[in-house]
Amino acid sequence: MTTDAVPGDPRRLLSEVRDLAHRVRRDQRVTWVALLVLAVVTFAAIPFDWFGMEVRCAPTGECEFSRDGVLYYWPPALLMAYAAIAYAYRRVARSRGVEARVLPYAITGAALILVFLAAWVAVRVYLADNPPPAEPLAYGWMVLDRLVAPWGIIGVALLVLARLERNTGLLLFTLGYLAVVLVPIDFGWQAHQSVPAEFVPQQVINGLVLLLGAAGFALARRR
Amino acid sequence: MTAETEPAHPVTGLDDVVHQRVRLGILTIAHEARRVEFGYLRGQLQLTAGNLSQHLGVLETAGLIEVEKGYEGRRGRTWITLTAAGRSALAEEIGRLKLLIARVETAEG
Repeated sequence: MTTDAVPGDPRRLLSEVRDLAHRVRRDQRVTWVALLVLAVVTFAAIPFDWFGMEVRCAPTGECEFSRDGVLYYWPPALLMAYAAIAYAYRRVARSRGVEARVLPYAITGAALILVFLAAWVAVRVYLADNPPPAEPLAYGWMVLDRLVAPWGIIGVALLVLARLERNTGLLLFTLGYLAVVLVPIDFGWQAHQSVPAEFVPQQVINGLVLLLGAAGFALARRR
Repeated sequence: MTAETEPAHPVTGLDDVVHQRVRLGILTIAHEARRVEFGYLRGQLQLTAGNLSQHLGVLETAGLIEVEKGYEGRRGRTWITLTAAGRSALAEEIGRLKLLIARVETAEG
């Protein structure tokens, strides 16, 4: 850019404005850090879920379980994750000379933790006075259940980050991630596992998707 | 019968403060971030410090940006934030540029 007055071609000027805006947006992104932190939190959740699960099996073979580890681990872990992500964004972007608008993402993430807790409490209150619903649950309920679970709310918050960053790559990645979370991959391993082990493969897959996303965005940033 | 009045040409509404390449660049960059640092603006716009300061002065006087000086460690830092007036001035300028393009395309067609 020069200090000349605007030349006659508004097309060129608009194209320069778009190019500048694109560069500034790119300089604020630390997408790989966000995905890496979320991947770490997801992998660290696995032992909490395994050892925190209460399983009661009847002699008939029917089992009831309660994933208390999920309840106690995820809210503080996600809060710390969002704080770490906000801190990293602020620090990295500041070192580049721009201050990113990452706070709405962290606030959305924190608000979604409340949604997860509210859903958990609502289910507990319902089950206190009512018999468990007949299995299998309706497909819509299963999707909703997965959406308000920690792995689902991570995806919803990432959609907000993609919007804030106007990051099409992150939007596409998040839609893929949500598809994996909401329509779990099952190669039949559930039938042969103990109750705690049933939930491990999907958590590993969720964590791997986030980890691969972090690696992908880090590589793209280097280019 | 009423006489049809032709709408004003988009050029007539252009604001001289904003309608300048560097200042438009400053407003665009500031619009995309919460705050931008002086050195970042200088690098992106490829200007000398003195030149950039002049343009920032014009924008600050017009109330389109806020300039905040501070320190990070021993290093002096100057941060620039877009004001609400700056945001609407930028939106208006972009809108007028788009109108101009539409006019040119209509005339060419």
